[in-house]
Amino acid sequence: MNSADFIALLPLIVPALASVVLLLLITFSRSHAVSVLFTLGSLLLSFLLLFVAGGGTPRRVTPLFIMDAYSLFFIGLLFIAGIVVAVMSSRYLGERSMERGEYYVLLLLATLGASVLAAGSHFASFFAGLEILSVSLYTLIAYRRNDDRGNEAGLKYLILAAASSSFLLFGMALVYAQTGSMDFFQLAEGGRVPDLTVVLSAGLLLITVGVGFKLAVVPFHLWTPDVYEGAPAPVAAFIATSSKGAIFALLMRYFSLMDLQRFPAVWYGIAGIAVASMLIGNLLALRQNNLKRILAYSSIAHMGYLLVAVLAGGTVAKTAVGYYLAAYFATMLGAFGVIAFLSGEEGDAENLEAYRGMAWSRPWTAGVFVAMLLSLAGIPLTAGFIGKFYVVAAGAGAALWIPLIVLVAGSTIGLYYYLRIVAVLYGRVPEGEGGAVTGFPGRVLGMTGGILLTVLTFALLWLGVYPAPLIRILQATVARLVP
Amino acid sequence: MSYPILSTVIFLPLAGALVIFLIKRSNESLIKWTALVLSLLTFAVSLPLFTGFDKTTADMQFRETYQWVPSWGINYALGVDGISVLFVLLSTLLTVLCVTVSWNSIKDRTKEFFAALLLIEGSMVGVFCSLDLFLFYIFWEAMLIPMYLLIGVWGGPNRVYAAIKFFLYTLVGSLLMLIGIIVLYFNTGRSFDVLQMMTTNYPYHLQLLLFWAFFAAFAVKVPMFPVHTWLPDAHTEAPTAGSVILAGILIKMGAYGFLRFSMPILPEASREMAPLMMVLSVIGIIYGGLICLGQTDIKRLIAYSSVSHMGFVTLGIFALNIQGVQGGILQMINHGIVTGALFLSIGIIYDRTHTRQIADYGGVATVLPVYAAFFMVFTLSSIGLPGTNGFVGEFLILLGGFTASNVLGVFAATGIIIGAAYMLWLYQRVFFLDVNPKVRSYKDMNLREVLTLLPLLLLVLWIGIYPNTFLSFMDASVQHLVQRVNTAGQPQMAQQIIEVIR
Amino acid sequence: MVPLEWYIGLSTVLFVIGVVGFLIRRNILIMLMSIELMLNSVNISLVAFSHYLQDLRGQVLVFFIITVAAAEAAIGLAILISLFRNKEAVHTDEMTEMKG
Repeated sequence: MNSADFIALLPLIVPALASVVLLLLITFSRSHAVSVLFTLGSLLLSFLLLFVAGGGTPRRVTPLFIMDAYSLFFIGLLFIAGIVVAVMSSRYLGERSMERGEYYVLLLLATLGASVLAAGSHFASFFAGLEILSVSLYTLIAYRRNDDRGNEAGLKYLILAAASSSFLLFGMALVYAQTGSMDFFQLAEGGRVPDLTVVLSAGLLLITVGVGFKLAVVPFHLWTPDVYEGAPAPVAAFIATSSKGAIFALLMRYFSLMDLQRFPAVWYGIAGIAVASMLIGNLLALRQNNLKRILAYSSIAHMGYLLVAVLAGGTVAKTAVGYYLAAYFATMLGAFGVIAFLSGEEGDAENLEAYRGMAWSRPWTAGVFVAMLLSLAGIPLTAGFIGKFYVVAAGAGAALWIPLIVLVAGSTIGLYYYLRIVAVLYGRVPEGEGGAVTGFPGRVLGMTGGILLTVLTFALLWLGVYPAPLIRILQATVARLVP
Repeated sequence: MSYPILSTVIFLPLAGALVIFLIKRSNESLIKWTALVLSLLTFAVSLPLFTGFDKTTADMQFRETYQWVPSWGINYALGVDGISVLFVLLSTLLTVLCVTVSWNSIKDRTKEFFAALLLIEGSMVGVFCSLDLFLFYIFWEAMLIPMYLLIGVWGGPNRVYAAIKFFLYTLVGSLLMLIGIIVLYFNTGRSFDVLQMMTTNYPYHLQLLLFWAFFAAFAVKVPMFPVHTWLPDAHTEAPTAGSVILAGILIKMGAYGFLRFSMPILPEASREMAPLMMVLSVIGIIYGGLICLGQTDIKRLIAYSSVSHMGFVTLGIFALNIQGVQGGILQMINHGIVTGALFLSIGIIYDRTHTRQIADYGGVATVLPVYAAFFMVFTLSSIGLPGTNGFVGEFLILLGGFTASNVLGVFAATGIIIGAAYMLWLYQRVFFLDVNPKVRSYKDMNLREVLTLLPLLLLVLWIGIYPNTFLSFMDASVQHLVQRVNTAGQPQMAQQIIEVIR
Repeated sequence: MVPLEWYIGLSTVLFVIGVVGFLIRRNILIMLMSIELMLNSVNISLVAFSHYLQDLRGQVLVFFIITVAAAEAAIGLAILISLFRNKEAVHTDEMTEMKG
């Protein structure tokens, strides 16, 4: 490893070092503010180092990592999400009497794991990144030690994640046996992938199962609502965004290198997963009254939409995935942000009925929330619309009519429960209790919350109204993924 | 004209909504006056479209084009022709009237109400002016959100159900159209430019698929027969202003979509599908009329009458001849004016009685004579009495309809008779008969209310007596459109023969 | 020398036993053990493939897996203890805080 390799890898080295340093730091000072500032500082530094690392791309750093424009884009996205989650957490933890420093260590590690995935080009780094991410998440989910739901969620996630990892590993072992290689690029080299064999297809399917679990797509979605409900709101935001986004980045790279179209069994498997996720995710959300669970099911459906782009393949699809993920990140972080900032000591603000009539007493907070919901629903002038438009364009370009029709059906069902939330927000407070609008009983957003959510909302609208700059960035980064 | 009129007409109300949003909630009169002044100002700004419009050409006028998303070939392109210009004017006019009629009837959340109203106005105008399919789609969908809130927040008892139903129906159609738009985009050399699409010839099977994709969106909006069920709920539950906008403008967008996109872009498919569309229209006419006879709720009755009347509009449009299309467009304007006026009138009496049941009325003509007179004119126009605007429109449509198909023409004419029956019966039950004690104590219309209805009354008579003012706007554009639909895709020879016959 | 197929057979059988155990047992500790069995069956096959292909990478991955399995077991047991303190339950059937 020479100095150029070192520079290219700096964005990954800094958070790794930072987590160790923070671990030492909290033995000296348990100040919450110091932990938060250190975390934000190191994430910001890593983000800036991406531009330094960008000078030498594309660069293979050992067989494990590939630092190209594609991975840099996704790592950047993950760092931004990490920063947003850290800000959310600072307020969330600041008001609760529990150990705080370790939380940020785990958050840094989780972000590191996600970034390793985005840059991974080898089964070993795939597995290592995935486990750094997962193991940190187990603890983060169960971070509220005295909360039964938190512990239960953590354990459920752990059991199922560990089982899915073994499926993933078994799949990797089979692919390795067939091809004699673990390096994505060597796998891709035409001659090395033999003609379709049963074992290879089985291996790819098992990998899909393992990855499907992490993405929480149907039928591997059962853990999602429980984990979202049990986890602290900022952690749920992290699972919904970074964890899934990183896997998706890796999946895109892996499948485009392997040339998914050549494995019909796998292709149809993914098509089935996409269709099932879009339908079932949206249908199951209909009957929920817990906001976190609604968002969980909504995220299942969104992964289904994204898989449509993966099925399509090609340059447009890559740009579509990039745009959709960026939009989805902003939206999900905003939606969970509202919940996180409104949550008090007694529990997260997740009960839908508690929001009734909030629009009249807190027009801006409700406005932010409505913007997020509309973006999730894919209504124009929000980022979600452009994302969905892109995905539909990718699908139509590849003539995937059945998934597209299901996408339309799914979006319509989805709209119903988003509108239900909007109807509650703009609903009338039942008469008799104080008569006039008494408004939302919860807390105010506060300074950090206000600023953070305003920024996210503006990002959302900006991406929705004027998408050209991001498209240009995507075309310079994500779309250039070879082949 | 040196300044961008269309952009101003779109963004003035949007800016107005923002201004209203910043005003303090307690300052209600300032909110109302801001809304009124802005809507009047928008109307005034849109008037040059009426006076400065060049009637001799079928080309787009008042055009504006800026790049928006270059990598996708999306432009911010606006323009109007003879088909769309009148709708822009109708939108700006009706918004002013919506503001005045809501002056006292909206008691809570005034601020949000007027902001939503102005938001709707901006996006409605945007729909009628867009010359870029992407832009069109944005406006088309963006309008749904304030409309959803308008129905869902200020509506009647069953408002949330009605609002969600309205939104869902519309969205299914819109999403299918979105797929259609994207397919069209790939087949037009990666462009969303409507004018370019109008001159491109697509393969027939593609046209057919696209036609149904667009049909899904437009038919729901119109609403045509099988997908009309959202309309009665939405109309009935919406506040007066919401009903007026729905009936006056929103449902015209569907028919406008057929005229602007389906027919010129997919001429062969439209030609092939026209008989089916006409049959659906006639079913809508008769079905809507028959349902009206059984209604006990005034608003619901008018809502179902819209289904019937819009059936006439689509019948005329898909007759694919000049009379039919002109009649269809004129009838859209007429329906906007008359149904808008009827909903406004119902709103005026509803503010007093707070009931929509026909049984709660009776003898209103004795108590509120001026009001009864206004209502009479609108009723007669809705029936299509000569001398009112309804007559001109329906006459032209029937003329076109009979040219296309005698049988359908006969059935459609039956619809007019049913229409006369339910409207006159309604009038009788509400305004004549014994004076219902419930309405005895109410005052007649005040000046604000008279001023709200007066412009529409004048328009009813103006179009009824001298329709040429308005027909002349669309002559060139309609001729161009009909020619495009009837000749596209046919061999060169056939086209020349048609020229010779002309 | 034992042929490769035997190793594949052994590891597949062990993996399936693990999966079945994971699916039908409701005791968290047994479920964790089943997962351990699944991971170790993968280890067997990786070592076998590695030897067969005369390529060390498979064996290196085995060390990754062993490490991670240990970490997972440690955290799993820690959460389980924390849960047990509150609820005194190790069966999934008794974990019914969240439904829907």
